[in-house]
Amino acid sequence: MIVCVAVVGHQNNPLYIQSFTDADDALKLHHIVHCSLDVVDERVNNPKKSGPTLNETFLGLLYPTENYKVYGYLTNTKVKFILVTTDLDVRDADVRNFFRRFHAAYVDAVSNPFHVPGKKITSKTFAETVSTIVKSFGLSSAG
Amino acid sequence: MAREVSESCVDSLLTEMVSTYCNRFYANKPDLAARSIEAIGYQVGHQLSERYTMDRPRFSDHLEAIKFICKDFWSELFKKQIDNLKTNHRGTFVLQDSQFRWLSRVSVDLSENGDVSQDNPEATAENKAAQVTSMHLYFPCGIIRGALSNLGIPCAVSADISNLPACELLALFAN
Amino acid sequence: MANFLAQFQTIKNSCDHLVIAVEDVSDLWPTIKNGFEERFPLKRAYLNNKTRNPVPVDNLPAVLILTTDARLRSRFPHEQYLFWFREPYATIVLITCEDLDEFKTILKPRLKLIVQNDEREWFIVFVSKAHPNNDQATKMAKKVYARLEVDFSSKKRERCCKFDLHRPEANFWEDLESKIVECIRNTLDKRVQFYEDEIRKLSEQRFMPESLAFMFEMAHLHEDALCEYDELELCYLETVNITGKQRDFGGVEHGDDQATLLNPGKKPLTQIVQDDSFREFEFRQYVFACQSRLLFKLNRPFEVASRGFSFIISFSKALTMHENILPFSMREIWVISACMDLIDATASNYNEGLAPLDIEKEFYRLQGDLYSLCRVKFLRLAYLIGYGTNMERSPVNSASLSMLPWPKPAVWPSVPPDASSKVLAKEKLILQETPAIKHFGIQRKPLPLEPSLLLREANRRRASLSAGNMLEISGSDAMSKMFPSHKAQTNSMTRTNSSPGLDSSIDRPMRLAEIYVAAEYALHSTISNPELWKSFSSVEEFEQKYLELTKGAADNYHRSWWKRHGVVLDGEIAAVYFKNGNFDLAAKSYEKVCALYAGEGWQDLLAEVLPNLAECQKILNDQAGYLSSCVRLLSLDKGLFLTKERQAFQSEVVRLAHSEMKQPVPLDVSSLITFSGNPGPPIELCDGDPGTLYVTVWSGFPDDITLDSLSLTLMATFQADEGVKALRSSTAIVLKPGRNTITLDLPPQKPGSYVLGVLTGQIGHLSFRSHSFSKGGPADSDDFMSYEKPTRPILKVFKSRPLVDLATAVSSALLINESQWVGIIVRPLNYSLKGAVLHIDTGPGLGIEESHVIEMESYADLTNGSTETVTNGALENGSSTVNKDFEQLTLHDGRIEFPDWASNMTSILWIPVRAISDKLARGSSSATPQRTNIVDGMRTVALKLEFGISHNQTFERHVYFLTLAVHFTDPFHVSTRVADKCHDGTLLLQVILHSEVKAALTIHDAWLDLQDGFVHADRGDGRPTSGFFPLVISPASKAGILFSIRLGKTDAEDASNVLESDSILNVRYGISGNRSVGAHPPVSTKHSATEDAKQDLVFQSALVLQRPVLDPCLAVGFLPLPSSGLRVGQLVTMKWRVERLKDFENEVPQHHDEVLYEVYANTDNWMIAGRKRGHVSLSAKQGSRIEISILCVPLVAGYVRPPQLGLPDVVEANISCNPPGPHLICVLPPALSSSFCIPLMMSASSSVFLRHSMRLAILALLSQTIEMQHGKYWRLICVKLVRLRFIRFLNQNVSGKQHL
Repeated sequence: MIVCVAVVGHQNNPLYIQSFTDADDALKLHHIVHCSLDVVDERVNNPKKSGPTLNETFLGLLYPTENYKVYGYLTNTKVKFILVTTDLDVRDADVRNFFRRFHAAYVDAVSNPFHVPGKKITSKTFAETVSTIVKSFGLSSAG
Repeated sequence: MAREVSESCVDSLLTEMVSTYCNRFYANKPDLAARSIEAIGYQVGHQLSERYTMDRPRFSDHLEAIKFICKDFWSELFKKQIDNLKTNHRGTFVLQDSQFRWLSRVSVDLSENGDVSQDNPEATAENKAAQVTSMHLYFPCGIIRGALSNLGIPCAVSADISNLPACELLALFAN
Repeated sequence: MANFLAQFQTIKNSCDHLVIAVEDVSDLWPTIKNGFEERFPLKRAYLNNKTRNPVPVDNLPAVLILTTDARLRSRFPHEQYLFWFREPYATIVLITCEDLDEFKTILKPRLKLIVQNDEREWFIVFVSKAHPNNDQATKMAKKVYARLEVDFSSKKRERCCKFDLHRPEANFWEDLESKIVECIRNTLDKRVQFYEDEIRKLSEQRFMPESLAFMFEMAHLHEDALCEYDELELCYLETVNITGKQRDFGGVEHGDDQATLLNPGKKPLTQIVQDDSFREFEFRQYVFACQSRLLFKLNRPFEVASRGFSFIISFSKALTMHENILPFSMREIWVISACMDLIDATASNYNEGLAPLDIEKEFYRLQGDLYSLCRVKFLRLAYLIGYGTNMERSPVNSASLSMLPWPKPAVWPSVPPDASSKVLAKEKLILQETPAIKHFGIQRKPLPLEPSLLLREANRRRASLSAGNMLEISGSDAMSKMFPSHKAQTNSMTRTNSSPGLDSSIDRPMRLAEIYVAAEYALHSTISNPELWKSFSSVEEFEQKYLELTKGAADNYHRSWWKRHGVVLDGEIAAVYFKNGNFDLAAKSYEKVCALYAGEGWQDLLAEVLPNLAECQKILNDQAGYLSSCVRLLSLDKGLFLTKERQAFQSEVVRLAHSEMKQPVPLDVSSLITFSGNPGPPIELCDGDPGTLYVTVWSGFPDDITLDSLSLTLMATFQADEGVKALRSSTAIVLKPGRNTITLDLPPQKPGSYVLGVLTGQIGHLSFRSHSFSKGGPADSDDFMSYEKPTRPILKVFKSRPLVDLATAVSSALLINESQWVGIIVRPLNYSLKGAVLHIDTGPGLGIEESHVIEMESYADLTNGSTETVTNGALENGSSTVNKDFEQLTLHDGRIEFPDWASNMTSILWIPVRAISDKLARGSSSATPQRTNIVDGMRTVALKLEFGISHNQTFERHVYFLTLAVHFTDPFHVSTRVADKCHDGTLLLQVILHSEVKAALTIHDAWLDLQDGFVHADRGDGRPTSGFFPLVISPASKAGILFSIRLGKTDAEDASNVLESDSILNVRYGISGNRSVGAHPPVSTKHSATEDAKQDLVFQSALVLQRPVLDPCLAVGFLPLPSSGLRVGQLVTMKWRVERLKDFENEVPQHHDEVLYEVYANTDNWMIAGRKRGHVSLSAKQGSRIEISILCVPLVAGYVRPPQLGLPDVVEANISCNPPGPHLICVLPPALSSSFCIPLMMSASSSVFLRHSMRLAILALLSQTIEMQHGKYWRLICVKLVRLRFIRFLNQNVSGKQHL
């Protein structure tokens, strides 16, 4: 299951973090997201490492750990999306698909004239959209 | 999904905004008015760039971004691409649009363009018209600046309308 | 084939050199052995790798072994192909021979025999023992060698070489080496070829690749060896999946918990492999070990690390799969040891700076990953045995631990016998354990470190045991496990008084302490590495190990530029430091962490760490840091802390602020207190105006906070030199949370426009400053644009202006000697005159009528004639009038308080004054032209207006000084002329009255009192001949009156005193004027308008009537000046001649023969020497004359009035001037030479004179030039100087003067 999704601004400042765990341990997810920025930076700074996926918005798997996976996505405007999931066999396609939808939702959110760029995203609609996307994550692959 | 509005709406919105800022809010402070309009444009460009770059690979360098602005962004805005792009490779880009859509309907009498000097009232009228038109240009400038800076290219954009409805947008990068 | 395995490994381990056989045909070996062996290892050889490409191999080691050696004998041919790598790669045949026949007959066949076996690579070394100077022998040797070549060398291969014992040729060794290498190469190729065919043949034959790989390795073709091993691993992996091939996983022996990633020889292969199936556990490690060994040889530690990491990950997966058969938490332990091994090995083999930067970063990152992986496992184990309470429940640990599942042994270990004491100890620990109290009383639900509740997990696993699958383990020892422990349980239970009924039951759930103890025992049995076990033995050991691991991870992450990972781990280290009371180190690390989080705005995480930092600073008594931390805590998102906690922060700040601080700490509260000018246009003031500034201040404090003082600087926008002005409100200000509006008094500012600068203030002893303009607190809609906005000016001060204007109401003259109203218009220029006080001080000759009230009225309704205002003012005097724009004020010692109604409107102040002039007005006659003098009609009124706005503290006091000039005059100016002279001596005297005032004058009567010598012609009452009274004179017009008079009889005495008295004209008149215009009826004590109207005034004017002068008695004549014109500084003598025209024998006798003279001269222009005034004797006889001469010096060039001679005693009427003195004479500027001193030389020849005159001349000259340059002032000074010197000079030689 997806335990956390996050939007991180181009100054590595958190714009939106939503965790989907029942226990209130959001902080550890904050930590994971924050640390994953190290990898994002690395990928961006020396692109030859990221190899074929150069300049692709989808950064792929950032973290191979035993217990959870962290995926990254970097938009043209240097905004990062981070996805933390605990199920260990995730299909790349699903993640890509997820990020695409997530990105769309994000764009809608920031296109709101009352949203102040660089500030946290507080729109309820966005939150709802995100939660639906998260819920439907993996179902598409199943179905 | 994308709802559309008629172009005339956009035009009249632009003119309305300009007139509001120039004549009501900052009646006798043109620079303030310009700044505010430019800021609005900035925000719009900021958000538009967010949307229009959605499903395309990241730009590797400035030139790509500029090209994006000239091609896709422009045609999203004006249904046409930039006609000419010049650069001095030192961070200055000149975007030429021979038929700038938002100014295509500005009725400036261009017949006297050649002999402005002949009689003063004409000339002053010319200047007035030019000023008004340039007011209408702060918005697009702001849009471009917003878009570029959102793409990570801080810059200053200025416009030149020596011969309407052609328009030259000058983008200066801070590098 | 497995029975070869033992051999295989032994052989493999034994031989690590290529073997080269030496066939010593004619016992030469001992003699040349050394020479040959020191050629090895071969410097450089080119061998073909698997793809038949030549590769350079350096220092190829090899051993030379005689074929007779045991090592090469006793070989069974069938095992040859298996251990081929140890077979000789080349055979060197050593022969020597002196005799050709012998060679042919004996040696040759033997050689043939040796070299017939084809798969050997061989060549022949012919050794010639012939001594060089023994030609015979050498020739023979040559012959034999030639023969040898013919027989054995072929076109395509040169198989012989000749070695001279005594004098080896230079190229022999190269030749030898090349031959050897050639042989090796060929052999290698042959064998590789062979193996590959073999592999192709029997693909499941697993040992070909390895022996091949090993062969490559021996040949130092590491790349190929590596490839072989990788291949080996691959085909291993595919075989594992083939069912039937699998055997037990392995890893159950003692010591298996320690990874053998790096030494392949750890275990005999026989254990690993038994007839073509393997133990996964050992075998994979074995293969990896071989690979890593190769990689190290290839000097690629980085690859070892990266492969190693992924290997560990995947392998631990495998371990989890087999966890149920493995010892308790085998996986964790194995991972730990594996990581540590890898870390040490790679780190020791890695030398910095060689690899490219990104590789290096990657390497360190891997190290960091290894460390942190190891760390996590270590923590997990430590938790199992009850060190969980010693772990920081930080995001890091939570993230890594809470998602890491518990070990899943088939059966959870149960409490061993005689562990009661341990259990007790643990119990105690658990009981003592207190939830870590956070600072500031912050309450947070501690982050989880465990994926699920350990208690439940463990008991579930035991429950599963009791659920019936007892058979798996023998019940008996299960019992023996249970029961002794339950003794321990009972007494512990009684302490934790739970029902003792449970004890007997087997699956009574274990308590936490028991779980800990059990785990500890289990681990102890699993862990074979004493080091590792030691670090579990006690809390201190645990912490030390924990610290070591964390530090390792942090450092490596830092090196790999993963700053976030690194810094966060630093935070963990800090936590340990903190626990051990090493506060300043802790503070340092915490600061780093906070900086990281704050810099990127991760407030949630920051909120977790910042309190710790604050606590450190508090303990370290670092007040500045502590305060700023508190402020930062307060300025975090409101949602992050409860109000209670935020209040705690604030109270901390306040407490510290009011406590005694060592040194006053400046505190930046920009994030907490922000301010902005009020929206809307800036305040506009004028220079000198005070004002009030409204500032919006946003307070981020949860409670009201009292600012003991607050001051806000204004910065002038353009002129930078114009420094900042601080507006301070000395009174304490209480800020509510959120928006406040404070007002500051604006003292008068210099012109310019100002923006808000810095807000500073005091909370107790704490001085804070804030320099952030609030964007209006919560982001308003155009907040985004606001960085586009310039900082808005909030105050504009314009050039200074007058605040009030005072002027006289009347322009025209007032009546002198009468009490008149002087109107003073007071016009406040939109500045309030509230409480203004006017000081009035009348100049000389002017007095205020104290008896009268002062009237004040608004200026507006003065437009319609003011008279009735006066009157009704007069009617209701004193009593405060109804309409506020008229009031009567009284003067207290020259001060008048303004009424309030007048504070903002233009008003006029009527002050009754009387100008006194005692001297009588003089009329003028046609004979003596009058000089009208305005000045003596002028009076001045000095006004001092004090006003201003008084504030609570300061009284902005303005004083406005003004001196009004009021012109007083007589109603008339009288002039006379003799209209006509009749024959009978009657004179018609016409008296003309010029009206001098702007008012209608009505003359009711006029009479003339004549002086002596004149009498009225007709009747004696002195009334005019033509009296048409009343006679009205409109303003500024004239009227004439005729008097007829005649000369009275004159005699000597009245001729003498005729000159004293003069005749007086009296005029009785009335005036009707308007005080707002000018002269008006005087203020009268009795206020009745009617009487005022017809009140009569009397005006007297003196007239001078002169008898015509008949006989001048003295004549004064001016004698001409020297023709050479005058020059500045040149002495001239002025001469006058006084002559008596007629004698005065009938005069008063005293000083009859003396005449008093006086010389008038403008002292600026002239310098007079000698006596200005004196008596000269002049005999009374008619015609007697005298000359008066004056020595004088002109001081300025130009046309100047010459000195005049006057005779004060004599009435000028008796003096006739002829020739008259000139009005002006021309004085030339001084000539630039000493020539003008010449007259002086003549006049006096004393050196003193000369010197003085020279100096004098120079000074005069100086005065000229100075006059040109500087103003008159300097010139005067010089003149003074000159005069001084000159006078002194004259006093010195008066005598000389007498001689003239």
